[in-house]
Amino acid sequence: MNTQMTNTTGTGETLIEMIKVSKAYPPDIVALENISVSIATGEMFFLIGMSGAGKTTLLKLLCSMETPSKGLIEIGGNPIQQMKGHKLAKLRQKIGVAYQDFKLLTDRTTSENIAISMEVSYKKPQLIRKRVRELLEQLDLSDKHDSITGELSRGEQQRVTLARAIANSPTIILVDEPTGNLDATTTEKVMKLLTKSNKAGATIVIATHDDSIYRDTSHRVMELRKGQMYSIAGGASL
Amino acid sequence: MSFWFTVLRQVGRNLRQTWPSQLMTLLTVSLSVLIFAFFYLVYSNMLNFGDKLGDDLSLIVYMEDEPGPELQQQLRRKITTFDEVEEIRFVSREDAYNRFATQLGENLDVLNDMPKDFLPPSIEVIPLKNLRSLNQVKLFSAYLAKLPGTLKVQYGQDWVERFYYFTRLLSIIVLLSGTLLILTTIFMVAYTIRLTILGRQAELELLKLVGATNNYIRTPFLLEGLLQGVLGSSLGITSLYILFQWIKLRFSGPGFLNLFEFSFFSPLVCITIIGVSILLCTIGSYSTMQKFLRI
Repeated sequence: MNTQMTNTTGTGETLIEMIKVSKAYPPDIVALENISVSIATGEMFFLIGMSGAGKTTLLKLLCSMETPSKGLIEIGGNPIQQMKGHKLAKLRQKIGVAYQDFKLLTDRTTSENIAISMEVSYKKPQLIRKRVRELLEQLDLSDKHDSITGELSRGEQQRVTLARAIANSPTIILVDEPTGNLDATTTEKVMKLLTKSNKAGATIVIATHDDSIYRDTSHRVMELRKGQMYSIAGGASL
Repeated sequence: MSFWFTVLRQVGRNLRQTWPSQLMTLLTVSLSVLIFAFFYLVYSNMLNFGDKLGDDLSLIVYMEDEPGPELQQQLRRKITTFDEVEEIRFVSREDAYNRFATQLGENLDVLNDMPKDFLPPSIEVIPLKNLRSLNQVKLFSAYLAKLPGTLKVQYGQDWVERFYYFTRLLSIIVLLSGTLLILTTIFMVAYTIRLTILGRQAELELLKLVGATNNYIRTPFLLEGLLQGVLGSSLGITSLYILFQWIKLRFSGPGFLNLFEFSFFSPLVCITIIGVSILLCTIGSYSTMQKFLRI
């Protein structure tokens, strides 16, 4: 069942639009097929599905890490496939991504890893320092400020990745399996932080297979199955 | 945080992380500049010396008989037909004898039994200063040798030829060392930047994903190349200057070296060598970025 889904929460103004998007990898692996979805500004959107369903691929397409084989992706009304150079860099500064494989610089400290997303947009050093401390405190990582990320546990690394995604106060936050390595208490803290960012105006797309984080949600939940998107009502009705 | 502050911080970080290879590159660039500049310095001094020799260059045409006033006019016309000359002087047998006698000084008595006309008359031709190349001098000499009544033409052939071939050899060495400078500088800088890029692949990938602009990623590498050029060439030129001063001090006083008046490069030449080195290093850095930095 291919569906055209529109936003149910947020401000109503469409921020992310995917129209008949497909992605195939050689030789003939179809990761996504005819995906059409609109996500509103300020919406929190859950993308669920089994491993290999295509969640990560969809997030990669949204942050232009990969290009679709077919279809159109627009962010703020601008087709991202056509963006290059400075324009693309500016767009990426507005999208915070917490990757499933973390993409941390394992020879750098936690604070340096978080700061990197703010440095590229030339934030003032004192502002960067303040923001890093604030985020580390909210994610229970205050004591890891100067720790080398390669020496942190998987759960800690996951939180550092999330902190880096949020640090620059982006308008879109894409989160891939944010709670995969976390216990219940930390999961709650992570979700609290994401909710806070959402309330501050950020549009959030969370790809997860952890039903504990979307089970009772009032936000939109959609499921990916074998590259196709299926509409599911608000998580609370699951 | 300003663009330049961030970029300089990145440069500092790169230099800290890859300092052994950076140091090796710096030394290689310095050494290349030193080798090239050394030969170029010797070459330019030799050219100056050659110019001075050229100032004193004259061709002496020995004649069978002393030319009368009319023949003198004819010869003068013939000589200037080949090329404009600075001066033509006719030396009679008597003038030649007197000159020789003056040169002998205290040993004048050796001429006591000699007739006053035993020396041949001659024409001294002083070519224009633009007649500098050996081939031109040779052609002119051959032309003069064909003038009627000419016995022989002399201009210090052996000495001029040896000097000419020596400066030619030097110019080849300068060309070779210049090529060496170009190759080593571009290659070494390119190689070092490549090492840095490969060592920071993960970081560069991440920078791209978090929205770093191309300039943000590229400028530190370009600056690294530029810095290598500035430091390497300055070090090379400074070393040469120290060596030059040492040689001057060490070998001052009477001796072979005093035949030449050695001088160091003018500030303009120094700045040109440094400028070219900076350009080469930046080219090395840029070419590697184009090849290995996929952004």
